Amino acid sequence: MKNDLTERREDEGLSQGELAEALGVTRQTINAIERNRYNPSLELAFKLADHFDCSIEEIFEPNQDE
Amino acid sequence: MTATNTSSKLTRQRYRGLVYGIGGLAILGLLAGFILNQHFVGTLIYLLGVWIAGGIAVLAPMWSEATLQDERDWELHNRASGILVGITMVFGLSILPALYVLDAGNYIEITGIASGVILTLSALFLLYGVCLGIAKRRI
Repeated sequence: MKNDLTERREDEGLSQGELAEALGVTRQTINAIERNRYNPSLELAFKLADHFDCSIEEIFEPNQDE
Repeated sequence: MTATNTSSKLTRQRYRGLVYGIGGLAILGLLAGFILNQHFVGTLIYLLGVWIAGGIAVLAPMWSEATLQDERDWELHNRASGILVGITMVFGLSILPALYVLDAGNYIEITGIASGVILTLSALFLLYGVCLGIAKRRI
């Protein structure tokens, strides 16, 4: 699953730790999502969408082979 | 929240350091007791350390304001459990029957230690089945 979380986070001037604290997860989780190494739960995906005031589909995009 | 409060709260790094540190000391205590022929003291240190570390590991995430564990940690545990069970299953199904047949044919001998390992792995796998059954009732 690809995502543009890094761009969105940097646009808001947030560090990974600050975004993690805002969402109630660890910095490592945000880092893993940004590096496409971890797909968040639906609950966290909704939290991210809510935080960036957009839909989940705008942040995440399935890979072609998925 | 002030900067002082933020810096004084339990962070994930401190939490992990505490749990692994106390757990490590407990194991060292046990080994030291074994080497120094102080088995009872070593066991006492080990039990105390393990219970304290276990208590912190379980209770701190419930009581702390900071996020010490999250969904990715549970996902890692799930994957690790899956790998462990997979290895146990492959080992159990592919090797153990052959070992018992060879033992019956007097080609090899399954010693007491090997037998203990086999029993432990079997018990682990059985326990996994029970836990899977419990988990299935919730999903």
